[in-house]
Amino acid sequence: MEKTKFLKSLSVVSDVLAQDESLKLEKEKASETQESVRKIKTACRACISNCSVIATVKNDRVVHLEGNPEDPMSKGHLCAKGLAAIQALYNPNRNKYPMLRVGERGENKWKRISWDEALDIIAKKLIEAKKEYGAESVFCSTGGGGNPEFWSISRFCNVFGTPNWFEPGCAQCYLPRMSIYNLMYGGTDPSIADSNSHEIYYEDSEMKCLCLWGADPSYSSPAMGGAAVNAMRARGVKTVVIDPRMTPDAAKATVWLPIRPGTDVALALSWIRYIIANGLYHKEFVLKWTNLPYLVNTETKLFWRAEDGGDGQTVDTFMVWDKKTGSAKPLAYPWNESYDVELDGEYEIDGVVYKTGFRLLKERVDEWTLEKAAEICWLDRDKIEEAIRVYAENSPAGICIGVATDQSPNSAQAPQATCIIDGLMGNVERPGSLLQRFGNSGIFSVGYIVPPAPGKLSEEQFAKRLGNVEHKGLNMWLAAHAPTILEAMETGKPYPLRVWLERSGNKLVNVADSKRWAEASKNVPFIVHMYMYPTSFSSYADLLLPTEEWLETDMIQESCNKLIVRQAATHLWETVDETAIWSLIAKRCAELGDPECKKAFDAEYMGPDLPYWDSVVELLDKTLSKADTNWAAFKEKAPYEFMSEEAFRNYYAYLKEDPATGKACGFSTPSKKLELYLEGLITLSRTGMPYAVYPMPAASKDYDPLPYYLEPYESPLGDLAKEYPLVMTNGRLPMFHHSTLRNNAYTRELFPAPEVWIHPTAAEKYGIEDDQWVWVESRRGRVRGISHITSGINPGTVYMERFWNPENMNKETHGWQEMNVSVLARSEPPYNDVFGTYTLRGYLVKVYPAPEGAPEGVWLEPKEFKPWLAVSTDSAPDMTKEGL
Amino acid sequence: MKKMTFVIEVDRCIGCKGCQVACKMQNGVALGSNRNSVKTIGPVGEYPDIQMYFLPTMCQQCENPACVEVCPTGACYVNEEDGCILIDQELCIGCKSCYQACPYRVNTFNEELRVMDKCTMCIEEREKGELPACVKNCCGGALHVGDINDPDSSVSKLLKEAGEEHVFRLRDFGNEPSACYILKHEKWMDVLPQDCLEVRKGKKHGK
Repeated sequence: MEKTKFLKSLSVVSDVLAQDESLKLEKEKASETQESVRKIKTACRACISNCSVIATVKNDRVVHLEGNPEDPMSKGHLCAKGLAAIQALYNPNRNKYPMLRVGERGENKWKRISWDEALDIIAKKLIEAKKEYGAESVFCSTGGGGNPEFWSISRFCNVFGTPNWFEPGCAQCYLPRMSIYNLMYGGTDPSIADSNSHEIYYEDSEMKCLCLWGADPSYSSPAMGGAAVNAMRARGVKTVVIDPRMTPDAAKATVWLPIRPGTDVALALSWIRYIIANGLYHKEFVLKWTNLPYLVNTETKLFWRAEDGGDGQTVDTFMVWDKKTGSAKPLAYPWNESYDVELDGEYEIDGVVYKTGFRLLKERVDEWTLEKAAEICWLDRDKIEEAIRVYAENSPAGICIGVATDQSPNSAQAPQATCIIDGLMGNVERPGSLLQRFGNSGIFSVGYIVPPAPGKLSEEQFAKRLGNVEHKGLNMWLAAHAPTILEAMETGKPYPLRVWLERSGNKLVNVADSKRWAEASKNVPFIVHMYMYPTSFSSYADLLLPTEEWLETDMIQESCNKLIVRQAATHLWETVDETAIWSLIAKRCAELGDPECKKAFDAEYMGPDLPYWDSVVELLDKTLSKADTNWAAFKEKAPYEFMSEEAFRNYYAYLKEDPATGKACGFSTPSKKLELYLEGLITLSRTGMPYAVYPMPAASKDYDPLPYYLEPYESPLGDLAKEYPLVMTNGRLPMFHHSTLRNNAYTRELFPAPEVWIHPTAAEKYGIEDDQWVWVESRRGRVRGISHITSGINPGTVYMERFWNPENMNKETHGWQEMNVSVLARSEPPYNDVFGTYTLRGYLVKVYPAPEGAPEGVWLEPKEFKPWLAVSTDSAPDMTKEGL
Repeated sequence: MKKMTFVIEVDRCIGCKGCQVACKMQNGVALGSNRNSVKTIGPVGEYPDIQMYFLPTMCQQCENPACVEVCPTGACYVNEEDGCILIDQELCIGCKSCYQACPYRVNTFNEELRVMDKCTMCIEEREKGELPACVKNCCGGALHVGDINDPDSSVSKLLKEAGEEHVFRLRDFGNEPSACYILKHEKWMDVLPQDCLEVRKGKKHGK
């Protein structure tokens, strides 16, 4: 890019309104000229999926997007979010340059500064905080949708020396499911929205029933999982949907169970009881390939081991009860045909009572009859039975557990229970099951290309991670506990928090009890917010950094047996890929003498964690060198089939012979069996293993190896219900991802304000009419929404999705206080023991009419969104690629 | 004679509204105007035994189009080549007669250009051998266009496979809508698109 063009782009006034700009764009598109037109194969990142896209770029301007049919997962589909990306890219309210606050916080008065100045200011604040208060006084956060590179943040924290980063997701979104399936099974978890469950993308799959438990791919990932599930239904696959509201997937389900939010584990325990009691489970698989026949010492809750493998490689030998000899016998992995192993037994040996894991599970679920589950979960008993029958009698089947159960303190127990159900049924690694260890490209070490470098954090600093002794599961993602960070912000204890580097969509829309966070942020002296556009949170920050929209970024991703790429279609303003921003900050810290950051650029010291990079392309080149190629060459080849479909669909991976031992590979767990009795949770609670980088003190209480049901703290069965009688749930919308795209004219006009779904009987009781402004109030505050009276919701429940109003960013509310359901959510204990999850769903509210009508200043009519229409913008050089 | 029209597998529509944004981006349709719109039909019935489905709506490509009949300038016409109803925006005076006459209110007034706008099944794309944007990107694979007068067209085959009992049209007021809806798993509801409240703004109070 020549300099004159770049300078020209700088002269564009940032606040120009886009009266007719989108029309101009369209006209330019329509008039075919002989000027340069390129079609670029890239991939969307408007949510956490990576649907392949063909972008048409004319004279460096993106003019058209459509799905790319070469993608084995999205198959050419593209949803509203992806299609609206041109509006997002050329949105007049992009963060265009680094901006420094000049007025008071909250006044939203900013001055443009150079990247050089911005990095200088940030690095100096970081170094100052480290010197005066310790590196732990710096904390970082991410989340809120479509991170280009998830590990960038924790990597920066590890090399800088702070143990504290968090995201509103993590313990509340995906970590519980990912971790529990990892511990119990060792392959990928079955979350469709997180691009797993590859089995669903194959037309010839043998799957006969799919259970969507708190998941609605039609809305969470319409073009990828939503499309695939839709195709399955068209092929005759039966579906069971467990969701308080009638989502599209619920509407199309064979059986829909509109459950009370927060009670999923109660329902799941009744499924386990019913499956065992009616002998519906796969006996041979359970006996030979799960740890349920192993004898557990009922005093220690640990398995009785005949022999410890000792070297970390050899599998321990566990004790089983042999019916033939009437004695306990050691069972060497994998099996001993000479025994007649008892699955369901209890024995007293030398004064100690031993029970099989199966017996303990049976005892745990004993109280959970269908009748009791129906009562607790507000469901019909016969419907529950029908749902279990549809699932159990249509094998192979699989349970996709969605984000819903991650959003309440039962977060660990829910995936424990669903993994047990699929495990009991033998729905593991057979054709037609969701739990698979299919092939991979070998390009990614831990899901993304940035090495998180956990070992670079010192033991002393690791020990200071907030909240991770009680909630050790957080260490899988190297994360701190969000509510404990909030408390530290509020109280300065156990140490003050001085600098907050934040990258996400609107933080105040995604954290529970947003008022507390907004207030607490005032105690943090220096806050940086980096995102594609300003959000409410910007009003609480001191410095804003402009990040790239996905159409400006480069990345590689896997899509089944192919590698796909996201490649920059253009570049605007002075935006920088977030993955590079963290390295630029580290580099400036190093230049200013920070010893830890200096080491992060030392190739020898960093080793496989890689020294920091100056650009994402440099990182991609390093990553691709494993495959003897580089980014420039590879992006031309993508989508690239890295293995055949047949090789990729590696069924029965556990039965394949391990050449090292000559025995079956088994599952990727310590026992190589499916660990349905999850002894590993006891180990985790006591030692932090397998996630802790250093030894840890024990949690105050052992985690439970079997799932248990915890009634929501704000229960409709308790006294609080007299004032707040309804249970709140949230759930995805197809035109937004988390807090994104409320400032995009084409998506916002589809859904200008949050609906509050309420059942006709509840509406009548509380005097609500349809399409009326209502107040929704919890113990923590009240917000407004628009009533939608519908029988598509559990009568004791209301539904509302997160929202904010960018149009009110400069008002006193900063746009997050009007319609933001997260204001109402609960950040106080109880937390899930393993992960520290708080309560985003399943707390109590009341709903009543709002005769005041809409909140002041909010936009509802399409024409009001006109100032947000795309502005025709010249491309500008990417400083990480071409220098500034 | 060729008659291009939409054939929609309603069972496959997942209500994601991607088609609306696809159309808008493809055709530069103004804010507040929609050439197509996905409606939610239901839920109806007694909780929890209720049904709900999504109905993509757009010009129904009537055989006897009221819009063409009432247009005072001849702007609204049937394209002889493919039977598609089009509006010549150069001739349109923005009187909205066609909108008033349309039994389904699926034509849309472009506030920017002050003329009527409607679904052309992306005629420019079709001329290039491409599919309409909504069909191409449809996440559910629900939308199809083709010549229903050609028994060998993909849409005719779809209709045949579905069986007459599963093929529905919007209520016929003598205009003979040609667009077909295939619905197998729910009971068809005789609902007009304009009677569906799809975007809530809180009409009872406030703005």
